Amino acid sequence: MIRKFLPLLMVPVLLVSCKQDFLERTPVVGATEANFYQTPEDALSATIACYNTLQQEVTNIQGSSGLKPHFRWYFGDVISDDTDKGGSGDGDDPQLYDYERFQGNSSGQMLLVEWQVAYRGIAYCNLALQKLPEIEMDEDVRDAYIGEAKFIRAHWYFNLVTTFGGVPLVTEPLASSEYQQPRATAAEIWSLIKDDLDDAVTFLPQRSEYSLNELGRATRGSAQALLTKTYAYLQEWESCYQVSADLVNEGEYSLDPDFGNVFTEQGENGSGSIWEIQYMNASGGNWGQQLEGTFSNVFQRARGQFNGYGFNLPTQDLVNAFEDGDPRLAFTVFQEGDFMGDRGEFTLESTGMPHLFYSRKYFNNASDEASFGDPNPNGHTNDRVMRYSEVLLFHAEACLNTARASEASDALEAVRRRARGGVTYNPMDPTAVLPFISVGELTMDHIWHERRVELALEGHRFFDLVRQGRAGSVMQAHLDDNFTGDNYTFTEGVNELFPIPSNEITLSGGLITQNPGY
Amino acid sequence: MRILLLLAWLLPVTGMFAQSLAVTGTVTDADDGTPLPGVTVVEKGTYSGGVTDLDGQYTIMVSSSKAVLTFTYIGYKTTDVATGGKSTLDLPLSADVAGLEEAIVIGYGNQQRSKISGAVGTIDLKDATSVPVLRTEQALQGRAAGVQVTQNSGQPGSTQSIRIRGTGSLNNAEPLWVVDGIPTGGIDFLNPSDIESISLLKDAASAAIYGARGGNGVILVTTKKGAKGQPAQVTYDTYYGIQEPWKKMGLLNAEEYAILMNESRASAGLVPYAQLADPAALGEGTDWQDALFQRAPMVSHSFNFTKGTATSSTAIGGSHFAQDGIIGGEKGRFERTTFRISTQQDAGDRFRIGQTVNFTHIERNALAENNEFATPVVRALNMDPVTLVSRPDGSYAYSELIGSDIANPINQVATSYDNWMTNRFVGNLFGEYDLSQALKFRSSVNVDLSLGSQKIFLPSYDLGIGENDPNRPAYEWREVNGLIRNENKWSNWQWENTLQYDKDLKNGDRIQGIFGYSALYGNYQNIGTYRDSLNSNDPELAFLDNSLNFNEQAPNASGGFGESSYLSSFARIQYEIGDRYSMSGTVRRDGSSKFGANNRYGIFPSLSAAWNLTELPWVIEKDWIEFAKVRASWGRNGNADGIGNFDFTSVVFNGQNYTFGPEQQQVNGAGPVTTSNPDLKWETVDQFNAGLDVDLYRGRFNIVLDYFVKNTNDMLAVVPVPGVVGFLPAATNVASARNKGLELSLTYRGEKGDWDYDFTGNLSVIRNEVTGLGEGGTPINTGGVFGAGNDFSAYTDIGLPMAVFYGFETAGIFQTDEAASANAAQPDAVAGDVIFVDQNEDGILDENDKTVIGNPHPDFTYGVTTNLKWKNFDMSLFIQGSHGNDLFNGIFRYDLNTTNLPVSALERWTGEGSTNEHPRITHTDANQNNRVSDRFVEDGSFLRVKNLQIGYTLPDRIIDKMDIGKFRFYVSATNLLTFTNYSGLDPEIGSRGTLEIGIDRGFYPVARNFIAGLNVTF
Repeated sequence: MIRKFLPLLMVPVLLVSCKQDFLERTPVVGATEANFYQTPEDALSATIACYNTLQQEVTNIQGSSGLKPHFRWYFGDVISDDTDKGGSGDGDDPQLYDYERFQGNSSGQMLLVEWQVAYRGIAYCNLALQKLPEIEMDEDVRDAYIGEAKFIRAHWYFNLVTTFGGVPLVTEPLASSEYQQPRATAAEIWSLIKDDLDDAVTFLPQRSEYSLNELGRATRGSAQALLTKTYAYLQEWESCYQVSADLVNEGEYSLDPDFGNVFTEQGENGSGSIWEIQYMNASGGNWGQQLEGTFSNVFQRARGQFNGYGFNLPTQDLVNAFEDGDPRLAFTVFQEGDFMGDRGEFTLESTGMPHLFYSRKYFNNASDEASFGDPNPNGHTNDRVMRYSEVLLFHAEACLNTARASEASDALEAVRRRARGGVTYNPMDPTAVLPFISVGELTMDHIWHERRVELALEGHRFFDLVRQGRAGSVMQAHLDDNFTGDNYTFTEGVNELFPIPSNEITLSGGLITQNPGY
Repeated sequence: MRILLLLAWLLPVTGMFAQSLAVTGTVTDADDGTPLPGVTVVEKGTYSGGVTDLDGQYTIMVSSSKAVLTFTYIGYKTTDVATGGKSTLDLPLSADVAGLEEAIVIGYGNQQRSKISGAVGTIDLKDATSVPVLRTEQALQGRAAGVQVTQNSGQPGSTQSIRIRGTGSLNNAEPLWVVDGIPTGGIDFLNPSDIESISLLKDAASAAIYGARGGNGVILVTTKKGAKGQPAQVTYDTYYGIQEPWKKMGLLNAEEYAILMNESRASAGLVPYAQLADPAALGEGTDWQDALFQRAPMVSHSFNFTKGTATSSTAIGGSHFAQDGIIGGEKGRFERTTFRISTQQDAGDRFRIGQTVNFTHIERNALAENNEFATPVVRALNMDPVTLVSRPDGSYAYSELIGSDIANPINQVATSYDNWMTNRFVGNLFGEYDLSQALKFRSSVNVDLSLGSQKIFLPSYDLGIGENDPNRPAYEWREVNGLIRNENKWSNWQWENTLQYDKDLKNGDRIQGIFGYSALYGNYQNIGTYRDSLNSNDPELAFLDNSLNFNEQAPNASGGFGESSYLSSFARIQYEIGDRYSMSGTVRRDGSSKFGANNRYGIFPSLSAAWNLTELPWVIEKDWIEFAKVRASWGRNGNADGIGNFDFTSVVFNGQNYTFGPEQQQVNGAGPVTTSNPDLKWETVDQFNAGLDVDLYRGRFNIVLDYFVKNTNDMLAVVPVPGVVGFLPAATNVASARNKGLELSLTYRGEKGDWDYDFTGNLSVIRNEVTGLGEGGTPINTGGVFGAGNDFSAYTDIGLPMAVFYGFETAGIFQTDEAASANAAQPDAVAGDVIFVDQNEDGILDENDKTVIGNPHPDFTYGVTTNLKWKNFDMSLFIQGSHGNDLFNGIFRYDLNTTNLPVSALERWTGEGSTNEHPRITHTDANQNNRVSDRFVEDGSFLRVKNLQIGYTLPDRIIDKMDIGKFRFYVSATNLLTFTNYSGLDPEIGSRGTLEIGIDRGFYPVARNFIAGLNVTF
């Protein structure tokens, strides 16, 4: 009888012989790095992944469970004299409240998320830039992909260098032995930004070369615009002039005749849109990291019946900055008695809060939202990072700084004329608004003023003040006005930059040094 | 299982071997002389044997006059008697009062209790008089030292978390379930009444034979089987019960609420809400707890059939169990139907085959639970008492005072349709062949197929008054209905081959060995779909095809696949030197596809030994000592079940999408999310155990004492990498933890006249400590609580127990504005705000000032069971408790500033000297009074009368007439009384993940049950 069962005793032996295969399992859903990056389709997917991080304005970061916001308007607007934090009270996002009063320190997660998300975006770009050259595919298409990755990398480094100053310069995927990186100088970061953008300007197609369904991809124009901005921040005005002039002369962009249309859903990717972070409302859910909606809508909408969180409240100072009758004010700020789209009339009672102003540029109508049963779903509103009017204003600055006052005046007037409704200013007409500023009168203050009101609440103000060298005076006045009774100080030479997150200093093994004054 | 398995292979087919000598005799109880039917009589070393008849008589053919007969009978001492050529041999058999010879199920076999050298706990479930348990895990609660069972929710069908000897991992700390030798994911599929016994392998030496999966301890479940030669027996057990909530939280009534809200608004310089202008007119208002909780029924039927023939045995079981929720009734219904058949047959005298088939059908309706965002409990506790449940016309009302998250919980329950249905098939087929008397080969194939379907219907509704009601909060309407359907499939198979050796040596020693080889494979697949705009709002008509969007592409479909495999070999040798010493050595080698390429195989050894002191002269002298044994063990296990299938690699995931163009077209992006870790491996658990088993006074009094030190190394933790890396760090095997503990079990059993009684108590003291987080490792923050500043409340760091509560220490209340402004660390504080301790005295209150504010781990846990029998009455009382553990009360949504509040809010600060405990009520809370602090930490100790049961068994004279075997009915109360100082709805709060222990986010409380039941045996 035992013979019959002998074959069974062989079973362990058989198992041994095939064990190697039995224990080798690789993911079939999802690939590994080793077997991805082969085909043109892989190349596209790797390139699109570079864009994905742009949408992660509320996201998970390392070492935190839960989503953390890091909106561009936190830094550009809330910190500045244009808006106050808002929310349900001072305790609602206390870190932002601290930074708003220049009381913030290097601990906490608000800056950490800014840092980590920027480097996450850079990592995808670095990976794409490493892998794309090895993929067999159409070279022009590949060059365009490389241009996109370089543009997005420049976008992130621009945010980093303006927020923190010199940061670690990482241009390739890091091996585990290379995780600890020292700071590079700000000049080295700027140099990389310029190099990346030069390549991007060369490789990227014009916006008109993309199909309608590709709108939102980085273009030659968006690279030119960011390069313009870069030169402006570096005050390399001749280069700034040249690049902005190229962009203007190539004629790809024009101002939307109706300023009010720019921030509507129809106005997305409009004629004056140079670089917009794209969002959608129908992403199948909410409040996740990989979903393609914006949270700025919810965060900036009034509380109470408007189901927002009431952040980013325009200050009286900003409202006052608008010239009498400037039509742009109504499209920038909601005031009492205004109708907040289809969500009802703005009264103090309806918001349950005492605030007089709400931001309008990122407002969306309830009817535009996808219905997921979530009362405050993330929205579709694209983030207008760079608009043609901004390039015109940079161009005006560059002209004025390079003794081209007449061109400067033209550029400024183009922006004011559109704001006026496309008409020439008639000094005889008592209802006329936004007077023409002649070459003779034109000063830098006119251009800076125009930037403030034209681009209000779009995340530029604080960085502009720093760039313009007047953050100290303007911010100190704002602190004194806004927080009466408390003595908060803007320390020049310190508060222009934010502190490096202390977590990152620790993790770098001390290679990263803190900014002075923190 | 006890001795039945042993019987299964010892039992011969009488008459297979031609014999010459016949021996007959009668076996009786040594105590009272009554004949014992069913005693197995075997000639030692042969297959020859028989069973005593109803009069205790047997006849057996033996091979020679030197033959030795072995008499075995459950509950009696196994006895060897030499025939000495006699043809008649009567034997009085002594009862094994202390159960020394009880065969305890251990991994891959069983062993006499008196010989066991590891730490193995047992729970006997086969006694029908034991407490009816709704879930198998419940049977472990408070019953075994070193085992902590806590419910994760009171909702019917919820799982319970089990920690054997503390939390041994930062990741998966749940033990491995093994049912009749098959590792199973959970125990849901089994009807508790199909279970005969449960063994708990607590120390590493006992669990080492499960290698890489035994690190959290192993729970071996043995199901009911028939025995050979056993007459047919049918049992039917049923009960019906009513569940009810046992506690209500003290909350503000409408008038009190209005007064406090007006104060809160005023303190922030805001005008009062118009609705609250006249508090006195609001009266009591709505009691949302009364509105939410209800009584709910439950019912259980189970049926078992067992029968044996000379060559086979069969067990058949069927059951149905249904339980409604104390919230939502049938919206929280759990139903389980099981069917099971288990048989074994002899195919010749050396070959046996057996098979088991389980089929389980589970349907579960579930309501959202245990988070602070949108669950009925948290809504009922936070909803303002001014709002009505429903308007006079019957439609549900909404709150005009609270917006986000807190909506009408009664409407939520009414509009919730979340159904989960599982069909699970677990099957086993084995063949066993005796190569010789001592050596047998066994091959076993197991399959486990589980199909889980989820259906969530989201009906459209609108609580607004009329169209476009501007005050309607967003949480009170859904414009477009939708349907989610998810299909999941888990398939596992295992093929295991063992060679087992068991020989009694001539010198009285015994050697047992096992060598085995096992392959295990599992995969998981799922499909998820969603459509909105169904043409009907009737949940019965909720099918994807009924969508008005039918012709459009499915807007949302997903699906995935994952697989893993294990390949293992293992060996164990047990050696017994007479009755005095026993020792055991085990080694297992596990390979798994889950491990990184650099660490594909792990080796897990163990050693244990026991020394029976009973024969020592100084013990023999003391005749009150029946038995004494000391034992010690060391072993190494792995913990691998928490590792994901492909955690070792950096997977390039699709779905890193981006949207383009006016039509918002999504384009797929792909990239890795984490770094890879080719070194990934199991967590290593090393454990030393020393124990003492003592039976005193003829076995009436048992003591089991164990001390253990359990070190977990190579624990998977995520060590942060610098942000410049860009990808999230993969978990690496860097962290370590230690659990040390003492376990004590005491049993006393006795009888006096018509009274039978026994008392069992157990006590566990476990100390948990994190000993390492890896180089560069940082403390782990978990347990974010939204109501408390949306900050973390739990903290894991070196030198502390896992997941201690962490936050700010408070030092009373600022009594004056001067005192507040004098405190530089709290610039926004005014009189009435909380004083937080600036631990480092740097004048700034920040992360660095957080400190340990509570410990969720108990100082000790205990259970006490008392069983009494008097004539035909029986009574059992089971008390269970936990002492010294803290709970974090995160029930209230302070971030929303208009929620209802606990009555303690009435003692708020209202002026200098009013209180130094409760801060003022303020709408804006600039001082963040409600940030995570010791204000929310409460003593979670409790003592619970878990069960009280009284039964009556009909006397024999009656049941004899009715021609049935046994007829018992009983009444029982579960969670009858609870003594605790905790203010929430339930102090017995489980964990959410391993590192969130005892955080109450509006916990779904366990119900108090009253049950009436019936046990009938035919």
